[in-house]
Amino acid sequence: MDDLTREFLLESQEGLDRMERCLTDLENRPGDAELLAEIFRAVHTIKGTTGFLGFSRLESLSHAGENLLGLLRDGKLEANAEIISGLLTLMDRLRGVLRSIDQTGAEGKNAPEDAAMIARLEALQRSGVAAVGVVAEPEAAISEPELAAAMAVPVRVRKPRQPGKRRGAGAGKRVAPLLVDTAWSKAGEAGLHRESAPAKAWDEPETQRSASADAGAVPVRPAKSEVTAKAEPADAAPAAATGGGTADSTLRVDVDLLNRMMNLVGELVLTRNQILQATSADAGFALLGRRLDMVTADLRESVMKARMQPVSHVFSRFPRLVRDLALGLGKQVKLELEGEDTELDKSLLEAIRDPLTHAIRNCIDHGIEMPEVRVANGKPAEGTVRLRAYHEGSHVMVEVHDDGAGMNLSRIREKALERGLVTMARAEQMSERDILQLIFLPGFSTAAAVTSVSGRGVGMDVVRTNVEKIGGKVEVDSRAGEGTALRLRIPLTLAIIPALIVHSRGQNFAVPQGALTELVHLNEDEIGSRIEWIEGAALYRLRGHLLPLIFLDRLLQQPPRDAEMTCDIAILNAEGRRFGLVVDGLADPEEIVVKPLAAVLREIGYYAGATILGNGEMALILNPSAIAQNAGVRLTGAAEDTLDAEPNAGLDDYLLVEADGRRAALPLSTVVRIERIPRSRIEMAGSRPVLRFEGALLPLDDAAACLADGDPEAQTTVVVCRDGDRQIGMTVSQVLDVTGGRHLEEAGTGAMAAGLTLLHEKVTSIVSLAGIAALETDFCGEAGR
Amino acid sequence: MKDIAERKTEVCSVRVGDTWYGVPIAHVLEILGKPATQPVPLAPYFVGGLVHYRGEVLTAISLRRVLGMEAAPGPEDVLVFESSDGPFGMFVDSVGEVMQVSAAEYEPNPATLDSRRQSLFGGAWKLKERLLVTLEPERLHPMRLAAQAAAA
Repeated sequence: MDDLTREFLLESQEGLDRMERCLTDLENRPGDAELLAEIFRAVHTIKGTTGFLGFSRLESLSHAGENLLGLLRDGKLEANAEIISGLLTLMDRLRGVLRSIDQTGAEGKNAPEDAAMIARLEALQRSGVAAVGVVAEPEAAISEPELAAAMAVPVRVRKPRQPGKRRGAGAGKRVAPLLVDTAWSKAGEAGLHRESAPAKAWDEPETQRSASADAGAVPVRPAKSEVTAKAEPADAAPAAATGGGTADSTLRVDVDLLNRMMNLVGELVLTRNQILQATSADAGFALLGRRLDMVTADLRESVMKARMQPVSHVFSRFPRLVRDLALGLGKQVKLELEGEDTELDKSLLEAIRDPLTHAIRNCIDHGIEMPEVRVANGKPAEGTVRLRAYHEGSHVMVEVHDDGAGMNLSRIREKALERGLVTMARAEQMSERDILQLIFLPGFSTAAAVTSVSGRGVGMDVVRTNVEKIGGKVEVDSRAGEGTALRLRIPLTLAIIPALIVHSRGQNFAVPQGALTELVHLNEDEIGSRIEWIEGAALYRLRGHLLPLIFLDRLLQQPPRDAEMTCDIAILNAEGRRFGLVVDGLADPEEIVVKPLAAVLREIGYYAGATILGNGEMALILNPSAIAQNAGVRLTGAAEDTLDAEPNAGLDDYLLVEADGRRAALPLSTVVRIERIPRSRIEMAGSRPVLRFEGALLPLDDAAACLADGDPEAQTTVVVCRDGDRQIGMTVSQVLDVTGGRHLEEAGTGAMAAGLTLLHEKVTSIVSLAGIAALETDFCGEAGR
Repeated sequence: MKDIAERKTEVCSVRVGDTWYGVPIAHVLEILGKPATQPVPLAPYFVGGLVHYRGEVLTAISLRRVLGMEAAPGPEDVLVFESSDGPFGMFVDSVGEVMQVSAAEYEPNPATLDSRRQSLFGGAWKLKERLLVTLEPERLHPMRLAAQAAAA
């Protein structure tokens, strides 16, 4: 395909995207001149270029659309649902042809459908013109014959022929239709004299095309459309000029090139690390090294930024979707978009497109009620679906919220029982939150009937799988009668994911953090007793539940391990399949750049890619869900396991830590993460120790009294916890375990003992997070003084 | 006729075991001297491992493994080849020099060569001091080797 065609395809796609957005807006603001001009421009650009490139199918389709749009733009026709539907269908057709050109280089053939499409557009024009004609009559400063020419086919056929009498003069032939047309539009607006029109027409650079369209007259085409079509160039020109400003300062760049740049930057980062290591002893180099460091970091950020696109690229298709679905289901739905300029890596945008589409379908199909039901429940007849994107820490949140009926918890429970996704005994114990989680199980659907929209048993599990694939998370929140909110938590970039590096037989492997729930370390002497066997299947007792174990070295047929050596178990939850992965050892967590593998290696199935670590070594990235599936880790069992882990009689999970020689318990639900940092990173703000963490200031409780200890290079462990809306840190000497704690009752009164729990049969005090003082609010001001 | 016979090709000589091979340099993107290697457990037999090449993770076949030979005693060099679906690498014991060979020196594979080698080698150039076996990268592409392994 030549450059010109490629450019044309890109431009047309963008034009159609804009058009789609505008068309759905048009429904709410039918007379909006700007919207109409924008839509007109998109179609007109396609028509203009196709003629040039010789795509006749596109040309005739867009021409028919242009005619209709011309009428709309000039106010001769009022946009209604029928017209908008027609234009949307036209847009789909144009897209189809563009796709065909993109794939095969040719337009493909579908004459009958094209003709039907054109006929439909013409019918729409006629219906509108007849109506407008009556209205327009009183104000029209147009002569009777002209109006007739515009409306009636026979007259119109004669009209274009008039210039034909002077066929010898090419110029004359061109002017005539323009003359008429200018008169049309101007007369309506300002009652301009017809005499001024010819002069204008002569200046018109676009005449050539109008003429050719005219000459190739398709008999069915009504005249007035010809007429209005031609009014366009003059009007559109200034608008195009204003739009030119952004085009001048931006540039289209091939994504492949950006990927390559990203790779090279990654390479540069590695080289920088090696240089820094090799030259650390030399003071002169250290300065240069630091500069290299800064420039590299800046460069990396810039390249990442270049890959970012606003979420509006994905959001823009939803007004149409909502409109079509709502019409199809007989519901009234309004879509509100928020945070459209939030930016996300291009590849991630692509990845959330389908999950979001699915979520919105669900909102409209299952969430929003029929208008009469809504009114009966005291809600406005029109339902609202809100799509919102915003930043939260190092993630972008995309929220789909509807004000519909909310999820029917008892129905979810019934369905889950009916499909055997959960047992009766468990279902009765489940909390509301647990029940909501059931919708993410494969094969779950509550739709009473299979509609064209949903209810085919593929659903939320696919949404979750897709989002988890890119390292994201899905949360759901629903209130009966008030609505449902689905939140997708998306990492800022796909190219870089947090992972834990593990060792097996001297080789590095990366485990994506998203699947990792906890880590267990076993000493030599514990392996025999803590790992139990049933006929060759290894199991680990995790808080009273048996967890299947997979030995990474055996799975990968690596040389067998020595019987007596320590090992670590990474406990993974891969899309609902829970298992422990036994590895030789753990290294640090690292942000890794995912590199694709060659096809022959992808076929192995256990690897999601490869990466180059900070120290220059390579690591294969494991695919936990593929490993679980291959090893036959069952989903239902795993799902049940997660589900009933919580409501167990009075057991809460705690992080058991040791700080300054004492044992203490932190409620696990509040623990955000555990960081190993050099002591020197803890800074003092007045008398308060603080830590800069993910770009924010974290007040610290120095429970381990590590600051009293002199060595600034020593590593210290900080547990980052959430206390309401704020985050706080606590230094600890050692993290001992995650374990269930039993509530204690005061003898005699039976009152719950506050601040104490029973862990490993020992009374342990629970750290009171609220007791850690907040930073003073004018703290920054004070520090500045 | 004379023109064809005298047409020179530039080849890069590489050694595996006791045999020298010649690879037309038109297909060679780069030579990596003893790079760090990451083995891939469960990979097909002909894959030597992964090497780091210009910010990418490159899959490299091992000529020794392809020929069914024992593993090399020490670190190996890697030739990077271009192919229609991206570059791939090939481990060899060592890389020699770039030399010119002429079509007059070329001779097709002997009929007595085993079938695996028949399918891999293009023939040989008869140099004064030794034979240089012709290796064409397209015959060594991992996908082709995988297809052959599946057929066997």
